[in-house]
Amino acid sequence: MSIEVKMAWRNLWRNTRRTVLTIAAIAFACLLLVFMLSWQFGTYDVMINTAVGIHSGHLQVQAKGYNDKQAVYQVVPDPASVSAAVAGVPQVTAHTLRAKAFAMASSARRTYGAMAVGIAPASEAAVSTLAKLIFEGEFLAKTDTDQALAGRLLAQNLKIGLGEELVLLGQGRDGSVAATVVKIKGIINSGQDVFDRSTVLIPLGLFQESFAMQGTVHEVVLRCRSLQDVAPVKLQLQDKLAAQIKSDTLVVLDWTELMPGLLESIKLDLVSGFIFYFILIIVVAFSILNTFLMSVFERTREFGVMLAMGTTPGRLTRILLFESSSMTLIGILIGALAGAAVTQYFAVHGIAIADAAEILREFGLPERIHPRLSILSVTIGSGIVLVITFTTTLYPAFKVRRLIPVQALRA
Amino acid sequence: MPIVECDAVNKIYQQGRVEVAALQDINLHIPEGAFIALAGPSGSGKTTLLNLIGGLDTATSGTIRVVGKSMAKLTQTQLAQLRLSQVGFVFQSYNLIPVLSAQENVEFVMLLQGIPAAERTGRARSILDTVGLKDKYKRRPAELSGGQQQRVAVARAIVANPAIVLADEPTANLDSKTGQGLLELMQQMNTERNVTFIFATHDQMVMQYAERVVYLKDGRIKTDTLKQHRDKVEPK
Amino acid sequence: MNMHVQIGWRNIWRNPKRTAVILTAIIIGVWSMIFLSGLMRGIADQMVRNGISNLTGHLQLHPHHYRRDPSVDHRISDAERLAAVLRQNLPAGAVWSRRVRVNAVAGNARHSSGVTLVGIDPAKEAQLSFVSSAITRGRYLRSGDNRGIIVGKALLAKYETRLGRKLVLMSQDATGEISSRAFRITGVFQTELKATEKQFVFVNLTAVQKMLQIDSAISEIAVLLPSHQQADAVAGQLRQALAEHKIDVSTWQDLLPLVKATIKIYDSFIFLWFLVVFIAMGFGIVNTTLMAVFERIREFGLLKALGMRPGWIMRMVLTESLFLLMLGLLAGNLLGMLSIYALAETGIDLSAFAAGLEFVGMGRIIFPVVQIRDVVGANLVVVVLGLAVSAYPAYKAAHFTPVQALTHT
Repeated sequence: MSIEVKMAWRNLWRNTRRTVLTIAAIAFACLLLVFMLSWQFGTYDVMINTAVGIHSGHLQVQAKGYNDKQAVYQVVPDPASVSAAVAGVPQVTAHTLRAKAFAMASSARRTYGAMAVGIAPASEAAVSTLAKLIFEGEFLAKTDTDQALAGRLLAQNLKIGLGEELVLLGQGRDGSVAATVVKIKGIINSGQDVFDRSTVLIPLGLFQESFAMQGTVHEVVLRCRSLQDVAPVKLQLQDKLAAQIKSDTLVVLDWTELMPGLLESIKLDLVSGFIFYFILIIVVAFSILNTFLMSVFERTREFGVMLAMGTTPGRLTRILLFESSSMTLIGILIGALAGAAVTQYFAVHGIAIADAAEILREFGLPERIHPRLSILSVTIGSGIVLVITFTTTLYPAFKVRRLIPVQALRA
Repeated sequence: MPIVECDAVNKIYQQGRVEVAALQDINLHIPEGAFIALAGPSGSGKTTLLNLIGGLDTATSGTIRVVGKSMAKLTQTQLAQLRLSQVGFVFQSYNLIPVLSAQENVEFVMLLQGIPAAERTGRARSILDTVGLKDKYKRRPAELSGGQQQRVAVARAIVANPAIVLADEPTANLDSKTGQGLLELMQQMNTERNVTFIFATHDQMVMQYAERVVYLKDGRIKTDTLKQHRDKVEPK
Repeated sequence: MNMHVQIGWRNIWRNPKRTAVILTAIIIGVWSMIFLSGLMRGIADQMVRNGISNLTGHLQLHPHHYRRDPSVDHRISDAERLAAVLRQNLPAGAVWSRRVRVNAVAGNARHSSGVTLVGIDPAKEAQLSFVSSAITRGRYLRSGDNRGIIVGKALLAKYETRLGRKLVLMSQDATGEISSRAFRITGVFQTELKATEKQFVFVNLTAVQKMLQIDSAISEIAVLLPSHQQADAVAGQLRQALAEHKIDVSTWQDLLPLVKATIKIYDSFIFLWFLVVFIAMGFGIVNTTLMAVFERIREFGLLKALGMRPGWIMRMVLTESLFLLMLGLLAGNLLGMLSIYALAETGIDLSAFAAGLEFVGMGRIIFPVVQIRDVVGANLVVVVLGLAVSAYPAYKAAHFTPVQALTHT
């Protein structure tokens, strides 16, 4: 072991109390960051997966302009050829067809506006989480022709139960009146009020028939193996569609385009989080700066002797940097480990926030939040603390270079 | 050729708005192998002169040559190099690096000189033996008495075979018996190794041991007494 | 001046650099407490104000069952008697307005979708909700104009229609039949949130009453009080007065559970933030005070040798800490207030995250809001905990034995 390292290490324990407090401060910051980042990343994952699962899928092929207006006449004219194109992309695990239109939903006693969505039960279950959100009754089966699922709040508003009839009245693709009668087979509960208050799911065939779709659909919804596959699949699909179908009326949209608010709200949350973390670490940095400064000041005479002996200022800087960075590293190590432990504990047990259930539900989050420990959250958390505390230690370490031996000896 | 030559040296400090002349017109030549004391009351300029000779500080005017090199012409790094190879220091107190053991303190200088580890250990131990600390290699400064600490300091100053050892009040914190022991040790080093010792002191005992006493007052040399004659190796 | 105070004050300036460093930590910490809590309160305040002006008001009166089942089946027929009770019980300065609010379907040739149809008394409504002041094109409703309808800008775009065009509204009437009626778009309103623009359409109260065949019945009365803090008290009073009327009285907190929950979460978050920031600077305070104490061991030894009691020494050290904390608080509060003041006019523009803001229901520009209890809370946390952590070094200082102290180097 080099003598500098030895000296630095021993110096660290000359004032155990101070060193421990300093390390504790660094560890505290690091622990907090690791935990908070894991928390944030964990919620983002859930939010994205929930939203992708219930609403958008990873990617959709739609008619150009449909995403903004959602008009019933903006259709994908030949879903079979799109299906064929999609089927050739290996990263796509499943895809399904959907058609949507606004309709007046009337039960025996009530009438409410609702979004009628035509789904293909078998492939839908492979793409979205809808099949798992059944609250009462059953999901649609492939053979169903006049059955429907209603959102929990809609069913409540309509005062309608399983097996009861629901009349859907809307406007078909060609402007004609679309009308159909369905039986409630199941009640669906996503936890997101807007969805639960307005959705009726019916078999795609029935939808196409009632709304004069003539075999067309509004959305081809894709699920990829993972979020990372979305960007490459999108490019690949755009090329394929352009080549095979030679149609410039179709677009491929990814989940961030389908739900622009989601990604931006995550960014917003992340940015505001970082502002808080940054301020926190600056406070920590100033909190520990005194330790570093004092360990220089109170040893001025010692440094004077060392300089008199012919030690170069560079070597002094090195010794001090060894000292401060070992403190920083120990702190970060402890903090990261403790942070990981705390995170892992809550990752398993979850954290319930009092009174927050309703808000969390709106964002597709469960009542208990499970932070997700990841290499990313640990490294980013520790990294930020490392950079800022290390910068802090540079000041005293370089200040020592300006020490003048005669004055240092007089101290 | 004298090992230290001071010619017309002045040192002026700026103290607030007042200029204080710490040293005025100092002319002093010290031959190699001398055992000399710079004496005088506090504020007389003896420590300042010692620091100038050690290259810790620079003179306002005049020239100082140490082993033939003009201090004014050296950069900070060169001064550090000169101190490392030619000058050893012994201070009044807090001489040692507290986190290093006696042996490591002695080794530290050799480490700076780039001497390999095995040789360092051998030399450090043998010099500690010489100063009478045979069984104290591993002790930290806090575990040594004041006299023992100063012996380590002497060992450290000597170990790199410097031409000069500058000692600033080395006995001030020691009782007279311990002080006497330390002085005898240094005298022994002086004769055995032909190292020049220059003291800054107001301790009578140091002056008794010194062969020459230069008395300063208010920054000027008042007297320069050659007290006793000893056999000395003439400069070549 | 008291001796303690004088000594304490001088002592903290014995090492100005060290004092400056720890003061910086405290100042940044306190600043962040004041400023960030101001921002969060700003966000919450905006949510509340948006919510309240978003047809909520401070109080609402509904017929029993309406809130669970907002249909025309549940209505208040004796609105006049209710009005009399309100006139008796509402504080001076309160305004209130009658509404019919039902779910409806709005459609034209291009599009149709579900909306909330609100029948309003134009003159009264102008006093308590956003509609009249949010009109950007066309004009506000006139009383007696039973064909006019006010819609949001986003709705206009969605229906590919414009001012002067027709819009057909359909809703279930009192007999259970679907009744429909055509309106002409006379005004367009714009709000922070597109969702609001798409959700609400406004027509004259009498027009809806006619359409739904409910005579002069209404479904809600919204009340705006001089201050939203009065809501609970007035609600209580009204509940008593209306005990026999089969009327639900709800405060804005009952009506906006999400806003209420958000505020609660912010409350805990702000407090946690205070705590976390304090811990961050607490380490510094302890360490700095410890340093200041340890380098003065001899001094304390001497004081004790002179016969000073430990309690006195503790007080001395604590006084120093208190000075440090007070200085930091003073500057931190000042800076925090200044930053809030600087942003009071312009606010912080978060348009870069527009879609995200819409997603979470926030406005684009945040104006920080100072809440006295946050400021008091921040200062209390710092002073109380600051003194608490300083107690350790102070205790240390008080319990050096003279011998320990004098042999310390």
